[in-house]
This record gives sequence, C-alpha cells and structure tokens, in this order.
Amino acid sequence: MPRQVLEVTLTADSVAADAALAASGDASAFERLYRAHVNRVHSLVRRMLDADEADDLTQDVFVRAWDKLSTFRGESAFGTWLHRLAVNVVLARRKTLGVERGRFHSAEDPLEGVSGRRETPEISMDFEEALANLPDGARQVFVLHDVEGYRHEEIAQMLGVVPGTSKSQLHHARMALRRYLDR
Amino acid sequence: MNDQWTDRLSEYVDGELANGERGALEAHLATCAACRGAVAELRQVVARARSLEDRAPQTDLWLGVAKRIGAGQVVDIRSRRFSFNVPQLIAACIALVLLSGGGTWVALHKTAVATDTTFTPQADSTKWVPVAIWSGRTDAAIADLQEALRRNESRLDTSTVRVVRENLALIDRAIAQARTALAADSGNAYLNLHLADTMRRKLELLRRINAIASAQS
Amino acid sequence: MLTTIAAAVLATLAPMQGETDTTIAVPAGASLSVNNFGGAIVIHTWTQNRVKVHAEHGSRGSIEASLVGTTLTIKAGSRHGSPSVVDFDITVPAEMALNLSGTYTEIEVSGSKAAITAETVDGSIDVRGGSGNITLNSVQGSVTLADATGRIEVNSINESVELSNISGQIKAETTNGDVTLWGIKSSSVEATTINGDVEYEGTITDAGTYTFTSHNGDIQISIPEGANVTLTVATANGDIDASFPLPFRGTREKHRYTFKLGTGSARMEAESFQGDIELRRPAEMREHQKEKEKDKDHEMEQEEP
Repeated sequence: MPRQVLEVTLTADSVAADAALAASGDASAFERLYRAHVNRVHSLVRRMLDADEADDLTQDVFVRAWDKLSTFRGESAFGTWLHRLAVNVVLARRKTLGVERGRFHSAEDPLEGVSGRRETPEISMDFEEALANLPDGARQVFVLHDVEGYRHEEIAQMLGVVPGTSKSQLHHARMALRRYLDR
Repeated sequence: MNDQWTDRLSEYVDGELANGERGALEAHLATCAACRGAVAELRQVVARARSLEDRAPQTDLWLGVAKRIGAGQVVDIRSRRFSFNVPQLIAACIALVLLSGGGTWVALHKTAVATDTTFTPQADSTKWVPVAIWSGRTDAAIADLQEALRRNESRLDTSTVRVVRENLALIDRAIAQARTALAADSGNAYLNLHLADTMRRKLELLRRINAIASAQS
Repeated sequence: MLTTIAAAVLATLAPMQGETDTTIAVPAGASLSVNNFGGAIVIHTWTQNRVKVHAEHGSRGSIEASLVGTTLTIKAGSRHGSPSVVDFDITVPAEMALNLSGTYTEIEVSGSKAAITAETVDGSIDVRGGSGNITLNSVQGSVTLADATGRIEVNSINESVELSNISGQIKAETTNGDVTLWGIKSSSVEATTINGDVEYEGTITDAGTYTFTSHNGDIQISIPEGANVTLTVATANGDIDASFPLPFRGTREKHRYTFKLGTGSARMEAESFQGDIELRRPAEMREHQKEKEKDKDHEMEQEEP
C-alpha cells in the first residue's frame, strides 16, 4: 500500500512544539516538519547546485537537521534555522564540487549566452531553466542575494570571495536573466 | 550598450551607490534610454526572483531521511517489485546488491532462491522473468566492508580518506539516479544492468580501499 | 636456480650527504621490486645486466637493497620507525620485470620491454613501454600508459586514465576522470568511468569485444569504415549521434538500440546514463582531437598575464 503524502499547514506554535518533540526523538513530529519545509529546502538546493543532486542533498539537510535539533534554541523561527542549515550543507558540498565535472560551464561571462551540455532550444527556456544554466558563481550569488535575501557581505563570506566579486556576479546574472522574464 | 555606468546599474537598483555616484548615474539615466531600459529590466528580474515558487521534489524523499535517522523499520514497497527481462543478466550470473534508500536489500542470483520475502510479479508476467530475491548475506557483506573501512580509515592519509569518501558519494549519487530512473521504468533491461554495474563499482571501490588501508603499516 | 649472491642483504646504504649511488649486478631474468613511501620512482632502461640506483633521501634517510634469488628489492629505509621520503632514479635492463609501489609516490617508467606492476595511492603513474602483464593502479593520481603491448589493466579512482599506442587486451577504469584510448590495436577492450568521458580510437577486429561505459560523461568512439560490429548503444538521458548511417537491426527497447554494421562480427557496447554517445569515423576523430589540442594551446596562451 503506497504511503500517503501528508499535506500539512503548521502554525508557529505547532512548529515550535514539533521542533521540541523532534529534538527529543519523535520521528512523527520530525516528519511533519519535513513535510512543511521540504519544498523550500529542495528548491534552494536545486537552484544553488543542480537538479541531479537536489534529492540527495535535501535528504542530507534533513538528516543533519535531525542530528542538530538539540542545538536549536527556538530563538529564531525553525524555518529560518533550517534554512541556514541548508545553505551550510550546500556550501560544504560546493567546496568539493571541484572534484566533479558534471554539467558545469566554463564560460566566465554569462553574457555569452547560456549553453548547456546539450543544446536546448533557447526560445522556450523559462526563467528557472535559464537560472539553472547560469555558471555556478553567478547563479549561486543570484540565488543567495535575490531569491534568499542575503547581503553581499554575508554572501562574500559564505562563498569565499570579496564583496566586490559578489556584486559583479550578481549583476552579470541579472543581466543574463532579463531575456527570460516573460517565459 | 556598454558605457561606463553599465556595470553599476545593479548597485543602483539595490540602493548601494553613495550619494555622489547616485546623483551622477541619475543624471546619466536622464540621457541614456538604453540604461533606463536596463534598470527597468533589472528591477523586473529582482521582482521575479522574489516571486519564484518552491517546487516539491519529484519523488518522496522522506523514506530516505527516515531510514537514515533510524525511524523504525521503513520499507519501500515499490522497490521490491523489480522484474527483469534480462537474459544477459541471468547468463552473466551477476550477484549484486541493490541498496535501497528505503532499506530494502535485494540480491539477484542466477536461479531464484526462496526467501522470506514474497515477490509480486507484474501483471503481464508472461513477458518478465522474476529473478529478484532478498538475501541477508549480501546485506552483511556490504555492511562489513563499510565497517572495515571505518576501522581502517585512520591508516589512510586524510586527503585519501576525503577522496575516497567523495568518490563513494559520487557512486552513491549515480546509484540514486539509476534507481530513480528505474523506479519509473522497472523492467528496463539497460537500467537494471546499469544499476547492477554501478553497485558493483561501489563494492570494488570499498574492497580496493580496504586492501590498501590494511596494507599500510 | 640460485645465484652465488643468494639471500644477501647487499647493503643498508646511508652515506652522509643525502644521496646514494650504487650499481648492482643482476642475473638474467631478474626482476626488480621497489617499495617507496613518499617520493618518486623513476625507471630508465639500458642494455647492461646491472641495476644502477640513484637515490636522494636527505641526510637522515637511507635505502635498503637485497637480492634474493632473482628478485632485487630496493626500499626506502626507515629510521626510528617512520618511513623516509626518497626519490629513486633507477636504470635497469630493458627485460627486467618491474614491481613498483608506494604511497605518496609518483611512478615513471620509460623504455621497458618487460612486465610492469605499479601501485600508488597519492601519485601519478606514467609508463612508456612495457610488454606482457601490465597493471597500473593509483587512487588519487592519473595513470598514463603508452607504447605497450600485452595484457593491460589500468586503474585510477580520482583522476583520468590515458592509453595510447597499445596493442593487446585492455581494461581501463576510473571513477572520477576520463578514460582516453588512442591508437589501440586490440580485440578486447573494456573502458569504464562514472564521472568522465570515454574516448576510443583504435581497431575493431572481427570477433572482438569492446565495452565502453560511463554514468555522467560522453562516449566517443571511432568506427572505421568496413568495421564488422554489432553495436549496442544505451543512454537514459543523453543523445546518440553518428556521422554515418546506422542500420537499425531491429532490437530496440527504451534507452537501448542495437545496430549491425557489416557482418556484425565484433560485439561493442557503448553505454552512458546521462551523457551522449558519438560514433565517428577515424579521420573525423583525429581532426577533432587536433582542434581540441589547438584550443588547449590557445587557452594556455590566453592565461599568460
């Protein structure tokens, strides 16, 4: 019998309660937290890295969250805490990405156009696809700044660059993406 | 369009230009339609970014998470219904282990062996030859190798350990991708073989590294 | 048959200046075993029946040499239990079989006409020559073999594997790197990687078997005109592209297609889970290779400040 996917809406209080329960080992409570946050985490991971790794890394994020729940003090919202944890997992993974080639593009200038390992018809590429096709640096800065709302100083520290690089990468990403606004 | 202000437009949109520069840029914008257009587009990109919607993963990842946090005996029913139309698989006498995120271990042998797991053949069973069975022994073999590696890891240089872990992770990702494709198309001969080969690569890597580690004095 | 120098530890050689130079006479048919921990092992050949050893090991290092039966064993000596770092430069008879191993060791061999086994963990292996059983293994380094013949097995884990101008039976494997085979004369080739491309330029002989697999990378194969081969190509997410017509043999299932060229005598499998499979003519592949090399030179020029 297939498992049913739980559709859950959580209030702030119930989130805090579930976090406390999960921290003491209640897996059902953790599953409720998972259901409520997985889409957000998965989308973040997918946009920062790529679709191929998103599933595995999303699981990594939640497993790590389970391990670290005892350190969650409830001072910020659980979602914020989980989100920052997800970003850290992505950044750690990113460090080892030099080892793996995968579908990465060497084009330093995203204004040269977005070209993937296989030629995809540019006409119908939508915004998210165009985002996925940006070079890593520009894409990650764009996701962290414009999608996730981090500041350049924070991003610079996260990615190990100077804020000036973060700003110029952001600009390049935005300039490349404006062709894909209407789709 | 490529004047001296082009590269500063994003900072302008984000309100990061100092007063003097902002004034100068605004003066420029008054005369440059191209830059004005770009500023408008940049603002739209930012707005679009903020309105991006989250998407659910295509498969339910909870089982994998639950398994890893040890949340009871979670069994992925779907992964048991492998069926194969692979004369080559049988002819090659491949013995392998399929690692399922849901915690089900399946071993393929040349001849079907009865075990404690019942196998459900697919509806059109005339086409498919069910050879999937479950064997606790291969389960133990993989676990032994990974345990041995954990014990022996300290004999290896940290950079070697890191490289080995990265490559094991690489193989695991390949396995996961193959499994995902297989879940959508469980009878496909190529996908089954590819998964089998990738699994075997993992075993070989574990064996080889264990041999190297235990040879270090 | 024992020689008159049987079971003799020739020396623990540790001159003060940090270098050792010595020459050891060896019987015909002798083999060499070098065991290093860190440092290089470089082998050259000559026509004399002697082994010339030059080792640089720093003033606290040493090397040990012993000839037992027909095996000459040279190792880095260890002082106070911890192995020293030694760079070996050894000249051997061309017919001397070689067994070279180390941990942080780069291994280089040139001019050998004998069997070679080379294993290292963190170091590259570069062999030119070799005949007979050739086995080269590295974990973190790349492995290159050229101008060899025999039964060949070449493995890396984290880097690429490159074979050129080889005849014989070939098995080439890595996990995180490309496998490149050029100028191959063989009727049995297996080349596989997980994260990398596979390239093959060589013969396709009747009744031969050829297997090329990758998970993430592209597979590019040269199919000479007139080759007789039953070719199965499979990919889950990639494209299949040929520079010539592929006569469809009639076996097709999702992701996998079989074609018969000529009499279909040889058997070839080209499979990549995510990458593309490209079938080219030899001249085309060589052109493409020249272009790639020109691009690389161009890139290198551009990088200079």
